[in-house]
Amino acid sequence: MSDHHNETFISKYIFSLDHKMIAKQFLITGMFMGVVGMLMSILFRLQLSNPGESFAILEWFLGDKWAPGGVLDPNMYLALVTMHGTILIFWVLTAGLTGTFANFLIPLQIGARDMASGFINMLSYWFFFAATVVLLISLFVETGPASAGWTIYPPLSALPQAIPGSGLGQDLWLISMTLFIVSSLLGGLNYIVTILNLRTKGMSMSRLPLTMWALLIVAILGVLSFPVLLSASLLLIFDRSFGTSFYLSDIVIGGEALHHTGGSPILFEHLFWFLGHPEVYIILLPALGIVSEIISVNSRKPIFGYKAMVISLIAIAFLSFIVWGHHMFITGMDPFLGSVFTFTTLLIAIPSAVKVFNYLATLWRASIRFTPAMLFAIGFVSTFITGGLTGLILGDSALDINVHDTYFVVGHFHIVMGLSAIYGMFAGVYHWFPKMYGRMMNKKLGYFHFWVTFISAYGVFFPMHFLGLAGLPRRYYTNSAFPMFDGLSDINEIITFFAILGGVVQLLFIFNFFYSIFKGTKATENPWRSNTLEWTTPIERIHGNWPGKIPSVHRWAYDYSKPGSDKDFIPQTEPLKEGETEH
Amino acid sequence: MNIKLRNNTFKQLLWIGMAGISMFFAGLTSAVIVRSAERGWDTFVLPEYFWCSTVVIIFSSILLVLSKRKVKRGVSPTPYIFSTLILGLFFAYFQFKGWGQLILEGRYFVGPGSNPASSFLYVLTFAHLIHVLGGIISLIVVTIKSSQKKYTKEDHLGIELISIYWHFLDVLWVYLFIFLLFSLK
Amino acid sequence: MTNLLIILIAFLVIATLVQILRVGELLSEVRNLDVNKVTEKDNKTQSFLMGSVGILFLVSCVWQYFSWEHLMLPAASSEHGVTIDKLMAFTMILIIVVFFILHIILFYFLYKYRKGDHNDVAYYYPHNNKLELIWTIAPTIVLTVVILYGLSVWDQITNADTSKSQVIEVYGKQFDWMARYPGEDETLGSYNYKLVQGLNALGVDMQDEASLDDKLTRELHLVVDEPVLLKLRSQDIIHSAFLPHFRVQMNCVPGMSTQFAFTPTKTTSEMKEQEGDSFEYVLLCNKICGAAHYNMQMKVVVETQEEYDNWLSQKNTLSEKLITKK
Repeated sequence: MSDHHNETFISKYIFSLDHKMIAKQFLITGMFMGVVGMLMSILFRLQLSNPGESFAILEWFLGDKWAPGGVLDPNMYLALVTMHGTILIFWVLTAGLTGTFANFLIPLQIGARDMASGFINMLSYWFFFAATVVLLISLFVETGPASAGWTIYPPLSALPQAIPGSGLGQDLWLISMTLFIVSSLLGGLNYIVTILNLRTKGMSMSRLPLTMWALLIVAILGVLSFPVLLSASLLLIFDRSFGTSFYLSDIVIGGEALHHTGGSPILFEHLFWFLGHPEVYIILLPALGIVSEIISVNSRKPIFGYKAMVISLIAIAFLSFIVWGHHMFITGMDPFLGSVFTFTTLLIAIPSAVKVFNYLATLWRASIRFTPAMLFAIGFVSTFITGGLTGLILGDSALDINVHDTYFVVGHFHIVMGLSAIYGMFAGVYHWFPKMYGRMMNKKLGYFHFWVTFISAYGVFFPMHFLGLAGLPRRYYTNSAFPMFDGLSDINEIITFFAILGGVVQLLFIFNFFYSIFKGTKATENPWRSNTLEWTTPIERIHGNWPGKIPSVHRWAYDYSKPGSDKDFIPQTEPLKEGETEH
Repeated sequence: MNIKLRNNTFKQLLWIGMAGISMFFAGLTSAVIVRSAERGWDTFVLPEYFWCSTVVIIFSSILLVLSKRKVKRGVSPTPYIFSTLILGLFFAYFQFKGWGQLILEGRYFVGPGSNPASSFLYVLTFAHLIHVLGGIISLIVVTIKSSQKKYTKEDHLGIELISIYWHFLDVLWVYLFIFLLFSLK
Repeated sequence: MTNLLIILIAFLVIATLVQILRVGELLSEVRNLDVNKVTEKDNKTQSFLMGSVGILFLVSCVWQYFSWEHLMLPAASSEHGVTIDKLMAFTMILIIVVFFILHIILFYFLYKYRKGDHNDVAYYYPHNNKLELIWTIAPTIVLTVVILYGLSVWDQITNADTSKSQVIEVYGKQFDWMARYPGEDETLGSYNYKLVQGLNALGVDMQDEASLDDKLTRELHLVVDEPVLLKLRSQDIIHSAFLPHFRVQMNCVPGMSTQFAFTPTKTTSEMKEQEGDSFEYVLLCNKICGAAHYNMQMKVVVETQEEYDNWLSQKNTLSEKLITKK
């Protein structure tokens, strides 16, 4: 790990083995995809609030074919919805969030020079990059990108006769997803091994910051669940391209009876959601870890109930493997099985509730410093409460009958998974930016960004619950075909207004990000007066992280405002004083 | 990194990777279980060639155990590793023969002669063979390195890693074989 | 030309923003201040905002409820639907109460415990096992109630007695629905997807005696207060038959037959009196199924036995439709 002095431009910025550079690559790719995904949502929101009206912006982006005369084509609407979901779930909130913070924080917070294998780490990014390129290419194929929803249920996703997007677009989607799975497996392997083996002296598991715990558990979840998605897509590829009948049976389409018999579409749903549900927690857990860290630092208080926080993380992760059936209550599954899944699903509320109470207890009698990162962490707690509670309705099989696949679901998961995770990501970027680039992000823009985001995000997703309770199904191109939904257009207009407002203010964040990289004020070594190890590294980026020996660790990460100390934080590297007990 | 830590790290990487591969096959075999419970599931006898390949891969695993013992005693393990490689190639050969026999019997992967049962059989064996291919490539590398005397008594990570992986493939095949025997009956 | 203009404007906006930020930073440099340090004033402003925006948020939730409540689905028009509505009300009240309590606590803490002169040192309080035990057990107890209540309702719905139910087949395809009534023999004839052709849109096997008197319709008519068992099939891809007013939803899967049993309790004309003349029951598709997914619907009518018999008797049987025409 010594001679890294002769770095060329390519080895430093492109095919870099340094975990910090790879993290930035993930972050910037994720941000780019975030803009693409957000833009898509704005395009289809315009159609939903003003069905059938002409917008120049639609024609400008989608061209004559998909928005003739500026009116969105119904097939393109479904394609946009599908790609929006795929991009946000996998590209932004899985790779963009975990890829960034696992790569950046793991070696720095456990006290390691780099990841266990820098090469595998680099491969992980480049597989992700290839996946991104293939996905973006699929936006430009003649029959349109994949349009069967991000859950790609066959037979819809298997039959180009059913929807044009299931032609070449779906093929590219599957190729891209395969590359993506390889990328996240390679990444996951590395994260686990690094955390287990390369901790510095004194960094026992019980002294790990909660970010590390969260990222470790996420990596385990990923390694165990992504291969199942791979097997599901493999069988789908065979059905699509070679004519096997794993998922297809007794189908007549376009006046033609297909030869497929004996397959079961429900089989795909089982395999898909076996990944799909842990995936939700792959998205959420890193945010939980990041937020725990940031709340503690900015409350100047130890996180309340460290052990309970770890145990609840593990409990959530474990339960996430046995609840996938709650996505399938109305597929005609065995009612007893439905009961089992209701039971396991609602159990997740217990560790989640413990987490919320612990956050509140951390804020109690704290000395809160409102940095932009802290504001987003607080936003996370709020959305986690709001979205988590509606989960009690959706997880209950009897209630799910009438809200399944309505806007109630859309509101629920955007709040609990989408907003929470994206707030966690923003919090993380604001908090660790000084460590990433040695400069500070502009504070005032940060405050502005938070408030407009917070208000417009709730403005978008809270009213959706009402749409759902009115019975409006999701993925409807317009609700004008049913007189019973005529009263809902006001709500739709409000949602679109806030969606555009929220979208525009994200551009301000991106501006702040790039401005601060080059022009931001210089950061000090430990601007937030934080305990964790990454703040003991020098401001200049060096390969190997610490110039001399790696510091050893003597205490947990949460000794804030500990009585008997003259300052309100005691870094992990400081030995225990005589007579001092660890937390 | 010292040798011990490096060895541990790479072994763990492999173990966790194998956990991922196991989940991949768990997904496929549970799909078979779900599917075989429904109507229209064909039953048939596995080709004899698959019995041959089972014997061959078990035998190759034993050879690898021996090669590890040799290298620990400081004796050159090259002949043993090389014979493992040959047996690995034989395994692949028998798999292809097995598929040939299935096709002779009129059990196809796709098309009119196919059934979900036979399609699943091809997918499972093919997916396994792809992983064996990875093993064979690593065996070639290890054979070359071993013949160049790159492995010592103390430091022979390559042999250890390929042993773990090859035994895993062996166990995986035996599992798949028994699984197929029962689910096609 | 417009594109050029847009690019120019975007460029100007960015340039202006950069200049504004630069000026702010230079000014504070002159005054020897760190522009990005969180000051006491910031804490004050932000915690005040947290408190007030928090309250506004909660008020807006109440406002949304009262201004949109009339848009929600009317009370259930089926027997099991009433039990679902009760369970829903119970769960809703529970989560709304928890939602308000937790948010009020959150916003209050944020307002009260900001860093300031009198609140410079936080209270070191790493854990309290008793407290943690309490807030693990409390949700567990509440959830036990929710789970047991929910499962009992689920059990009632899925294990309904269907021996006396009128069986009707509902068949989905891109992009409409059809219904098949069993006719006088009260048995639906068998089917095979290979027979789907022309008028025989459902692939009914006409060699089967039971098929002859089956009737195909484009509307779903149900008799009030009589139990009905919907048998659901699909021709091409997965659809989902969603009857929101009855709290009924079930997927239609090609190659499979699914079912849902329920009893409608209010006729269409009763609902028209209650909800206005334009009211109609409807069956809609609730699983993404292609370009016209948003318009895949079938009219549903609940009526008295008399009206129902009258309506059904006017429909041709399949044998009249398919065989005589040949």
